[in-house]
Amino acid sequence: MDKQNNILKICDLGIGYQSKRASNNILFDRINLTGNSGELIALVGKNGIGKSTLLRNIIGLQEPIHGSVLFYDKPVKSYHRSEFAKLVSFVSTEIVNISNLKVFDLVALGRFPHTNWFGKLKPNDLMRSTRALEMVGMSSYAKKNINEISDGERQRVMIARTLAQDTKIIVLDEPTAFLDLPNKYEIVHLLNKLSKEENLPDGLSAEQAGKAGKTIIFSTHDLNIAIQEADKIWLMLDDEIIEGAPEDLILNEILNKIFTNTNLSFDKLKGDFRMKRKHTEKIGLFGEGIYYTWTKKALERLGYSVEKGNESIKNIKIEFRNDSCKWTLIDGVKMEDFNSIYDLSIHLKIQTRLSIDRL
Amino acid sequence: MLQKKHIILIWLLLSFILIVLFITDVFLGSVNIPVKEVLKVLFTGETNHPEYLTIIYKFRIPKALTALFAGFALSVSGLQMQTVFKNPLAGPYVLGISAGASLGVAILVMGVSTFTVVSQFGVLGNWMVVIAAWLGSGLILFLILAISVRVKDIMTILILGIMFGSATSAIVNILQYFSNESMLKAFIVWTMGSLGGVSSAQLKVLIPSVVIGLLITFLSLKLLNAMLVGENYAKSMGLNIRLSRFLVFFSTSLLAGSVTAFCGPIGFIGIAVPHIARMVFKTANHKTLLPGSMIFGGIILLLSDIISQLPGQERTLPINSITALVGIPVVIWIIIRNQKLTSVS
Repeated sequence: MDKQNNILKICDLGIGYQSKRASNNILFDRINLTGNSGELIALVGKNGIGKSTLLRNIIGLQEPIHGSVLFYDKPVKSYHRSEFAKLVSFVSTEIVNISNLKVFDLVALGRFPHTNWFGKLKPNDLMRSTRALEMVGMSSYAKKNINEISDGERQRVMIARTLAQDTKIIVLDEPTAFLDLPNKYEIVHLLNKLSKEENLPDGLSAEQAGKAGKTIIFSTHDLNIAIQEADKIWLMLDDEIIEGAPEDLILNEILNKIFTNTNLSFDKLKGDFRMKRKHTEKIGLFGEGIYYTWTKKALERLGYSVEKGNESIKNIKIEFRNDSCKWTLIDGVKMEDFNSIYDLSIHLKIQTRLSIDRL
Repeated sequence: MLQKKHIILIWLLLSFILIVLFITDVFLGSVNIPVKEVLKVLFTGETNHPEYLTIIYKFRIPKALTALFAGFALSVSGLQMQTVFKNPLAGPYVLGISAGASLGVAILVMGVSTFTVVSQFGVLGNWMVVIAAWLGSGLILFLILAISVRVKDIMTILILGIMFGSATSAIVNILQYFSNESMLKAFIVWTMGSLGGVSSAQLKVLIPSVVIGLLITFLSLKLLNAMLVGENYAKSMGLNIRLSRFLVFFSTSLLAGSVTAFCGPIGFIGIAVPHIARMVFKTANHKTLLPGSMIFGGIILLLSDIISQLPGQERTLPINSITALVGIPVVIWIIIRNQKLTSVS
């Protein structure tokens, strides 16, 4: 690998909490990870496994128990704090909710390590802050108050602040935690885009700006999004952290390990997770295409094991009559029509309950 | 969003109000001096009544200056504490900083010596009082700071601050119990707060202390703005947290401690005024809020002093009661407006 590309190296890192009285509470021992420019890295793992702790170690908010985090082959500690602030920026899980704080002022705070003792914003600082807001698509929000915008918008503003800080590396702790599904995808997609873009124009020489883009590391427990957008996944398992392209982790059956001891399993073909269900009863299903697929999903949710085209047991036929779809339940000699999957499922649920009551 | 023109207009208006209140405050007092004579003394320094000259220079102007500088100091210390603690209800009075200063003074007045002995030292005695107050307020601030390193929850810190304040008051009460009548009276009058009791000799200590405190705050503007978003963010932007905390706590002790030393504990200016400044200037930027809090602090304390003179009467009310009556509605308004209290400062 091109040595110059290797911006972040984590060598034999041990993380956890040091305590004076008891022995150290080590979460992970011997972590070895790398990060390169132009990469969006997703740190994935269960809740409470230590994602934030690892990130805090990377950005120097917490001391490693042993080992080191190297940026450009220099340990975090050897950087002066203002030098480091020009290299790595951070978005934490804290919600910044300050009345009367303008969006633009918050973004311009990112210029902190670049301005003088009084924090005087020069034209260049103003230009970079404006450009940062543009890059996250929030230009029209510049004069709004930070506590008057939505969670997704606020997260974009926080990201703009890191862009104004103008660092090669951006670290984000759970940037999608409070967001709804569309916003989650948009934020991660934005991060992906930013990791590929050149640094802010002008002022910096080509080497400094780095044509290859930024290294962006974010923690999440949204595996689906991570798989779709991240260039690399740092997968936190119970006793080790494995890195690789999401596709490699899928093909090597590593991604499945994250949910051992849970009711989830990973569907390698579809690329998503599903609940392992205990099927209690078999049911036959006749039908075609998308109606078949979704009816099958509904039946599985209700606890049935679906057998295609089995007429010998209780079964359901999906048919089109007069342009509308009908579901016909055939149970021995009884036949009943339903207009929606919902009606069908209510009927099946009542049946199940009756049979349980009879027992 | 306020236009630049509006902001300049607001500043001009506020400055005008401040000047008018200052002159009014000089005009008011237990002796009636005609307005014409007051203006004559203020602008020409001459009058046909030498006693007016004495009253104005020895009592009225020191009193008005005290109100002005105490207003600056208390509101700026409140502003800084609200930012550092990320809490809209923080202030020197609420967090027990004033109580700490009281303890320092109480120990000096009732424990170590008597008021008479202290006052015999002249300027040196004044320094002793102010240093005792600094130490007292610094002690409480240090305790709160030490706890805030371990306890992250701001509400807990606030409650602990209130506890420290109560404990300090309890110790002061015990000291009162063991002190003799004259010392007790001196101390109780002091706790009621008084702007008029500050002599020009004491002003020579008060004003430089406040000016130094304000200068430190001016130098910390960038740090304060960064601390607004929380310490983790501030650190990630390269802020030296230890230095910043030290600067803020040092200047806060200096500001709140000095005022408390000479005027007694004056409540609710520190907590209420920064909110008024935020409301009027609609910003969280300390570059505006610092001068904004100063001017509103000066205005409100001068106004409180004018009210306490009970125009036309010979008595004066304790300034602390007036500031409480002026400040408490603002505090209630803050609590009702952001009931969650998560919305910082």
